[in-house]
Amino acid sequence: MTKPIIEVKDLAKNFGKNQVLKDITEQVTPGQVIVVIGPSGSGKSTFLRCLNLLETPTSGEVDFAGENLTTLDTKRVNELREQMGMVFQSFNLFPNMTVLENIKLAPMKVKHMDDATATKRAHELLKQVNLDDHADAFPASLSGGQAQRVAIARSLAMDPKVMLFDEPTSALDPEMVGEVLSVMQQLAEQGMTMVVVTHEMGFAKSVADRVWFMADGYIQENSTPDDFFSNPQTERAQDFLSKILM
Amino acid sequence: MKKRLVLFFALLLALVTGFTALTTTANAATDNSLTKIEKKGTLVMGTSPDYPPYEFQATVHGKTKIVGMDVAVGQKIAKDMGVKLVVKSMSFDSLLVALQTGKVDMVISGMNPTPARRKNVDFTHTYYQGGYSIVINKSDKGIYKNKDSFVGKTIGAQTGSTMYNESKKQTSGTTVKGMTSVSDLILALQSHKIQGVAMEKPSAQAYVANNKELAAIPSDFNLSASDTSASVAFAKGSTALVNKANKSVDQIKKQNLVNKTYLPAAGKYLKTNTVNTSMFHYWKAFLTGVEYTLIITVCSVFFGFILGVLLSLARMDRGGVFKTALRWLATAYVEFIRGTPMMVQVMFVYFGLGLIVNLPALTSGIIAISLNSGAYVAEYIRGGINSVDNGQTEAARSLGMSSGATLRYVVLPQALKNIWPSLGNEFITLIKDSSIVSIIGVSELIFQSNIVRSDTYRGVAPIAVIMVLYFILTFTASRILNYFERRMQHD
Repeated sequence: MTKPIIEVKDLAKNFGKNQVLKDITEQVTPGQVIVVIGPSGSGKSTFLRCLNLLETPTSGEVDFAGENLTTLDTKRVNELREQMGMVFQSFNLFPNMTVLENIKLAPMKVKHMDDATATKRAHELLKQVNLDDHADAFPASLSGGQAQRVAIARSLAMDPKVMLFDEPTSALDPEMVGEVLSVMQQLAEQGMTMVVVTHEMGFAKSVADRVWFMADGYIQENSTPDDFFSNPQTERAQDFLSKILM
Repeated sequence: MKKRLVLFFALLLALVTGFTALTTTANAATDNSLTKIEKKGTLVMGTSPDYPPYEFQATVHGKTKIVGMDVAVGQKIAKDMGVKLVVKSMSFDSLLVALQTGKVDMVISGMNPTPARRKNVDFTHTYYQGGYSIVINKSDKGIYKNKDSFVGKTIGAQTGSTMYNESKKQTSGTTVKGMTSVSDLILALQSHKIQGVAMEKPSAQAYVANNKELAAIPSDFNLSASDTSASVAFAKGSTALVNKANKSVDQIKKQNLVNKTYLPAAGKYLKTNTVNTSMFHYWKAFLTGVEYTLIITVCSVFFGFILGVLLSLARMDRGGVFKTALRWLATAYVEFIRGTPMMVQVMFVYFGLGLIVNLPALTSGIIAISLNSGAYVAEYIRGGINSVDNGQTEAARSLGMSSGATLRYVVLPQALKNIWPSLGNEFITLIKDSSIVSIIGVSELIFQSNIVRSDTYRGVAPIAVIMVLYFILTFTASRILNYFERRMQHD
């Protein structure tokens, strides 16, 4: 068996007295696409944000490529974050920069890539997400679907080993969901390791290698999409699926 | 809240004790006073050049310089010591403080050696024995005869001067109004805010000679010799220096140099001054004013901004004991600066800090205004940083950027855009507030206009000129700021 790239051990996270994540132990191996689903407020986003330490875990550990993030100094955490791209529900593009500048910023400031190389790479990525004609536009002029594709390209510019998606289509108008999902599907086909928090069951069914069902601060089920959707084991999952599937 | 209050008072106490301690030490070690001056090669004379013919500004060969009988006395003293005279101008009120804090080596400014002043400084023998006159409007010449004619009326005198104190003491039923500069008093007289101005006889004569609408009447004050004579002041305890200067002063008296040479020479300068009192003639003085106002403003905005960024970061950084202490300190600083007048801060930096390092007036002014502006800018920036969505920081951090890089490349540019109007406002305010440093003698616009006013005996025109100049400065600045604001709009 290949060595896991992300390993979560006994992860717990409290916000004050509120226990959001209780005890999570899971693994992600390279090339896997994990889709995390579950009811609202079940801690999916918090879990994802603990993976790159945007949230500091209360206890437990998060290992990335064999290194325990919770024990590392800030500098090393920054270096490892480069290898974990993250895409947010609200895009979080930098509004004061053009699309091209958004993509070039981190490669130039963190990897000290020169301008010409960074520009060339940014155009390649924009072609990959079908937005090269918008290179000089400012984020405010983009539609939600376009903005999210730029955000994906921006993350890819750091050549990450893993991509984390935090409800990437939840803020989009329905007709724009497809264009973002197809870019994500392409990425998955190219072998990118992905952890995706989403409510898109179709995407989970067709693209995921594993579905993690999360509720009440635990990962209740970890199975293949086929098994999960046709034969959910826990009452919690059965209840969830009965509510969303017609 | 209570803890914060304790911290605040502790800080205040430390500041006050520190200051008192410094004042005492400064007074203690000064008996090598003469050797110190000789070694330095210069003798710095402090004076308030709005008091012709004692001291005033004149244009000599296209350059403005301070002239008058007191300057001649200063030159004589310096020459006899074999050193070079440097004349430093400041407001009359600030002169003795400047002497005590070592900003100047001596004060010659028509100053009377009163017993009260003797407690704080040492005086030479008197070099000139004058008397008081009261300047009135010529149209009132029949009405007022002497100090007792002003019952129910108002007399003006220069704040901090002997005339002011004596007018208060020796008149009854008369209001005494104090103003910092004699030119303001004359203006008040001419606009009938006051009915008479008490001043030294030679000054009164100079004003009457140069302004046809004025007349002088005897004051008939009952005065002791120390009230009417002028002496040179030195720092307390500098006996060697005083003895040496006394030799020069005795010579001046013996040869009657003041009446024979110094006063006539001053009179000549006065005449050249008033030949052309058009404001255009003084464009150089105003230009200097604009120049210094801009230097002070631009430097203070620059340093104030840097300080503001540091302070705001210190106030927002949460973490260990060190960061908490830093946060408290920054908060205390901002509160303290915002809670004290800028004028006091300027004086504190110039005179107070001057005890430790002798800073020139311009540098002191820039430091004080930067320190002040920093406190305000810190609050704007804090607001600006808070106004940037947290998602921006998260996006930058998830790309591997450090917190410093995130702040610099992502958060601050956006914060700056959000607070640009407030920062612009601060800049415009600073252009106007820089006028405060005129009290320590920096030749910015207000200071220059006061000089022009006392030179030309014209009260209103210079004020109108600087009003227009200030407006041109602020209007241009706001246009430039608007241009940059438009350039930052992307949505």
